[in-house]
Amino acid sequence: MSGGNDAYIRRTILRAIVFVIFGVIALRVGYIQLFDTKYKSLADGNVLRYEVQYAPRGEIIDRNGEYLVQSKECYDLMVTYRDIGKQGFDTVRLCDLVGISKDKLLRVLRDARSAPRKATLVAPFVPTEVKVRLDEYNFPGFHSVYRTMRNYPRKIGGNLLGYLEEVNRNDIKDGEGEYKMGDYIGRAGVEAAYERHLRGKDGVKILEKDAHGAIKGSYMDGLYDTLPVAGKRITCTIDARLQAFAEELMEGKVGAVVAIEPSTGEILVMASSPTFDPDELIGRERGNNYMRLLNNKRNPLFNRAVKSKYPPGSTFKLVQGLIGLQEGVLTPAQAYPCHLGYHVGRISQKCHPHGSPLDLRNAVAQSCNAYFCYVFRDIIENRKYGSVKKGLEVWSDYVKSFGYGRKLDSDFIGEGPGTVPTRELYDKRYRGSWNSLTVLSLSIGQGELGCTPLQMANMAAIVANRGYYYIPHIVKAIEGQDSIDRRFYEKQYTKVATEHFTPIVEGMWRGVNVAGAGTSWRAHVPGLDICGKTGTAQNPHGKDHSTFLSFAPKDNPKIAISVYVEFGGFGATIALPIASLLEEYYLTDTITRPQLVDYVKNLPYNPRHYAE
Amino acid sequence: MQNRYSKNQMSLFEGVDGIAVILYLLLVFAGFVNIISASYNDEIEAFSFSQNYIKQIFWMGTAFTVALFILLLDSRFYHMFAYHSYALGILLLIAVLLFGREVNGAKAWFEFGSVRIQPVEFAKIATALAVARLMSNYSFSIKRIGHLVRVALIIFLPLAIIILQNDTGSGVVLCSFIFVLYREGLNKWICIPVLIVATLFICSFLFTPILLLLLLLLLFAVSSAMMIGQWRLHIVFVATICLSAIMLYVLSALLWDGALSGYVSLIIATVGGVLVAAIYALKKNISAMFLTLALFVGSMLFVPTADTIFESVLKEHQKVRILSFLGIMSDPSGADYNVNQSKIAIGSGGLFGKGFMEGTQIKYNFVPEKHTDFIFCTVGEEWGFVGSMFVLALLCGLILRLMKMGERQEEPFGRIYSYCVSAILLFHVLVNVGMTVGLMPVMGIPLPFLSYGGSSLVAFTILVFIAIRLDASPRNGLMSAVR
Repeated sequence: MSGGNDAYIRRTILRAIVFVIFGVIALRVGYIQLFDTKYKSLADGNVLRYEVQYAPRGEIIDRNGEYLVQSKECYDLMVTYRDIGKQGFDTVRLCDLVGISKDKLLRVLRDARSAPRKATLVAPFVPTEVKVRLDEYNFPGFHSVYRTMRNYPRKIGGNLLGYLEEVNRNDIKDGEGEYKMGDYIGRAGVEAAYERHLRGKDGVKILEKDAHGAIKGSYMDGLYDTLPVAGKRITCTIDARLQAFAEELMEGKVGAVVAIEPSTGEILVMASSPTFDPDELIGRERGNNYMRLLNNKRNPLFNRAVKSKYPPGSTFKLVQGLIGLQEGVLTPAQAYPCHLGYHVGRISQKCHPHGSPLDLRNAVAQSCNAYFCYVFRDIIENRKYGSVKKGLEVWSDYVKSFGYGRKLDSDFIGEGPGTVPTRELYDKRYRGSWNSLTVLSLSIGQGELGCTPLQMANMAAIVANRGYYYIPHIVKAIEGQDSIDRRFYEKQYTKVATEHFTPIVEGMWRGVNVAGAGTSWRAHVPGLDICGKTGTAQNPHGKDHSTFLSFAPKDNPKIAISVYVEFGGFGATIALPIASLLEEYYLTDTITRPQLVDYVKNLPYNPRHYAE
Repeated sequence: MQNRYSKNQMSLFEGVDGIAVILYLLLVFAGFVNIISASYNDEIEAFSFSQNYIKQIFWMGTAFTVALFILLLDSRFYHMFAYHSYALGILLLIAVLLFGREVNGAKAWFEFGSVRIQPVEFAKIATALAVARLMSNYSFSIKRIGHLVRVALIIFLPLAIIILQNDTGSGVVLCSFIFVLYREGLNKWICIPVLIVATLFICSFLFTPILLLLLLLLLFAVSSAMMIGQWRLHIVFVATICLSAIMLYVLSALLWDGALSGYVSLIIATVGGVLVAAIYALKKNISAMFLTLALFVGSMLFVPTADTIFESVLKEHQKVRILSFLGIMSDPSGADYNVNQSKIAIGSGGLFGKGFMEGTQIKYNFVPEKHTDFIFCTVGEEWGFVGSMFVLALLCGLILRLMKMGERQEEPFGRIYSYCVSAILLFHVLVNVGMTVGLMPVMGIPLPFLSYGGSSLVAFTILVFIAIRLDASPRNGLMSAVR
């Protein structure tokens, strides 16, 4: 056989080619099946649809069990572009049913087209009855997802309760897997502070679908499904009726009311005015409403109760007197003269006309400016500290022990610290050369002092408790938990001993309950033993701020309250009646002075500072 | 011996290659199992005739009957009627081009009621027979250009008609006959370029352009070194090209704000290297080196030039603009989708697969044509790597067996025909399985014996059993029994 050798070589080469071809294919198949794991997950992604079972968010009730926030069922309408199919659907009918414009629908579909396998949100907050009709028509590619939306039966406490917002990129990043696109997160108030408890845990239902997106049943008979865990119900310390009354009285005014139960530190009222209807920040109109609130000059989204910095005015005299007593530079019997003010050289602090001289009790009741100028100078000029500067340091420490100039560490997010001036501040401002007269305005709560209404209410609680407070908090109980954070059960003592509070409390009592003895007579309600201190804080922007700090009853106090009305004039003009009415309402559940309510509501009030 | 055959009517299977038959039966059975799970439609009755696997039973019965009939006929019959069948095949192809029915863009089907027949499947057999008949002629010499042209004509006539039917995939199958021509002594200088082009074609799907270029460089350097020696010189040459490419890249990154990508740097270095080598070869008058260089340049040009310019020169936003203009981007229902889904299905099978009727990708219609052209996805997903290897081993075994059967033939006709069958099978497996795993472009040709479809199963059965019958030729057939 000629060329037998050649034929043999060719045969071998051909056989080799067959082996090489099959080898390459086998290697490739092996690589795809054994080493490249991405196909496995892609296959799952193909076949499995992970349907999030949104957990209903926890509800919020007030201290008496009344609902502040409820969860209402609603649906998100989603579309999966790929599953719409070639024959399309009746866009007009869909738009009519859901209540969106055709432009909006087309915009959504255009977006959905870029991610054809992903479910894209078409319209949120679809009510149940609409969802049922959508199910009847069964638009291809569309499905609805159960969610809950917030519902506010009493429409109070906008800033207090806060609102929900869709998570943004940062939330998702910070949440470390807790959040995904389309989730809601509490943005302010209780919703934000107790987000972790309210949120619950979303479940997931794994469904098998075919290439057309049609559901073929549950995956592995639901073996890997998880049920949603509903959010915890939160019991607020708020008294809903009192909160509503406070908001009613504050309507049209700018300021804040905070009331605390002194024996527990529980916040009974936290009203920031102007407020907003929390219902406005849910649903589809949310965006527009939010922008409107954001552009409102009076800034209703700013929670004045915990964030603003107000000069405490005369209410601060209580602190001044207490420090003087503790420091031993003042005795209750000590009397100082007042001739329409306190005058040293060119420096003077004016005062209103009243009898002179006054002892400590009457000075508190009459709110004598001169008296507390003496006290303040005695405190910081105390020889044992060597210098005024050292003296001011000591004074600052005292003031901070009352909760001023620092965050109170409440459970409320965004709490402001306020300001208490320190030696360093004045050293810097006056290049080291200053004395007690330079900072004299501090003695009557003016100057560099800034306090939040929460701190002032806490001050009222301290006086009510004669020397200590519980950290104010907004949450009373969390469903499924025996107690709230331990720090809310610990007494926080000031640096002033209990016995020194007696004359101060008596002064506050006299001011309210002895006719002609002080500035607060108007707050008097027979039998309630209200104690109070007015404040009229000067401010450079216009009319004085009106404030009133109060608690009742004198013995075994049930409520401590601070009312602050910006540009409200004298403390007695507007802050005082509001506080008095709220105390009466809380303690007796009645309103015996409807004419005072009318007076408060109809008082001419025009804070020009906020002019549009 | 002949007496024994003629006396015994059971001699039908005498001399028949048992291994080939068993491999064939196993493949058909494997195909049937996978067709059941790929085409099971739970909306109609399990034993209704509209279930594809019930139809497949009918086709299997037809195929087995045809196989028996083929074994009954005398082996000389095929030699005798080779040209007749070829003529018939061509006629059928022309007829289908004129009167056929268009399916999936290819006018390649005759339709009788619910039964569709694809003449191209039978044209392959006819062409194989004709090629075998022509080349087994005593006076035939593959070394003679005139004879070679005649073979080429026999192959390219049906090919042209098939391409006119817009069924390129099936037509290209006939190119696999180069396999046979090589076996019969075709000059390797005709075969090598064809092989290189084919390899490059596959490689351009597998590798990034830069890797491909490097591989080419190495390949040709090694082959050139093998031809003319001087290994050290070749190593230095390749190393210099690589080094200068790296230097170019670094320099451009430092001085030129990275204007040259790695690939462009390598191209520049390579072009320089080729020029230097050409000058060197000219001086030393080494003709073999010219041949290598020419081949190298040719294959470099073959690497999709437009594609590389597109990838390396244009900026990202320009690419996106051009792609979206051409409508290439975001085409989830296009060919990319099919291959991607097919890879997902096979890849998700893992080592042992998901089990019979458990393949989710298959069951829920993610894979298109899952019971016909993409049947291998079902194998891969439900039977895993083990199942895939089993099927591939069966196919490989059958091809090698046919080659072996060809080699042991006394008559060149049988040998050539056997090789034709192996070549056709090999090409089908390569392209079909290759396409399901992303090695090959989607061409739409069936996987022999496994894909659902009457014409394909019957045609492959005829193809293989003629080879088996020819192999068993010492035995007398039906016609000689009459004698």
